[in-house]
Amino acid sequence: MELVLATAHALLAQGTDNLTTAPGETVASSGATAEAIVFWVAAVIGVGSAVAVILMRNIVHAALMLVMNLVAIAMLYLALQSSFLAIIQILVYAGAIVVLFLFVIMLLGVSRDDLLFETHRWHRVAAGVGGVAVAGLLVFGVAGEHLGAASRCGGQADPAVVAESTVTPCRGLDDALGANEQGSVGIIAERLFTRWTFAFEISALLLVVATIGALVLGRRHDPDASATGPEVV
Amino acid sequence: MPIGAYFAVSAILFCIGLTGVMIRRNVIVLFMCIELMLNAVNLTLAAAARMWGGADGQVFVFFVIVVAAAEVVVGLALIVNLFFRRGTLDIDAPNLLKW
Repeated sequence: MELVLATAHALLAQGTDNLTTAPGETVASSGATAEAIVFWVAAVIGVGSAVAVILMRNIVHAALMLVMNLVAIAMLYLALQSSFLAIIQILVYAGAIVVLFLFVIMLLGVSRDDLLFETHRWHRVAAGVGGVAVAGLLVFGVAGEHLGAASRCGGQADPAVVAESTVTPCRGLDDALGANEQGSVGIIAERLFTRWTFAFEISALLLVVATIGALVLGRRHDPDASATGPEVV
Repeated sequence: MPIGAYFAVSAILFCIGLTGVMIRRNVIVLFMCIELMLNAVNLTLAAAARMWGGADGQVFVFFVIVVAAAEVVVGLALIVNLFFRRGTLDIDAPNLLKW
């Protein structure tokens, strides 16, 4: 998986380097091809592993499939020119959150999944049909109008097609990334510490509250709790 | 790639998470499905950031990741407590608030 990630990054870097140094027809299309390859690989892995997360009987396997899904989404972030988000995704999700999940699964010793699909068959069928219906609505209603040739990003679209199209064109991040010498980290930091400073500080407060909450919830204070469950040491 | 392709993938991922919440009964798997849905929304935000050519969407993704981390910490602590009190991870077992 790391190999795939590194290859994807190298391909994308090559594509964007070529774009910035010598903009031309063939070079732009090579960047577009690299993006398409990364997109399709990551999309197939992502959707496949997401289906595996909800269908795996063993929840340790489900957690590992979740890691694969998160890595695939990190690859999609790379294809979207958001390399900072890709790194954060790997560090925070795959590095911290899934490890926490696995830690709890091991602590509780519940990897053998004996419950666990919805009991009524009819409910499962209804849930599946509902999920597919919502997916169809979202894909055709929200994504549909941006699937045309006018929505190709970063100068890949034909200007004539964009001019006569009514949908919002995809501007791409090339201008923003080119204007900031720190690249992806720079453009995020610029907004985070100017316009969204207050939200940033509130998120620090949120993390403190969450830490205290986890400490309080983790304490054993109920004297007769040992009657209903095993004692924690 | 047209930007709608990213929207379509994130819509599909969101609905897989939604279906997972409806068909599974294990609390931990439900939490994983919530993570799937949060990630799908993050992907939409990052794609929209690229579409508009600004970094605000990426800042939102950053905040969503922070909130998801906090949520998982508290949620898993609740799940551990629930398991030690009830001895099961069945989402249908805790029904004390049921009228």
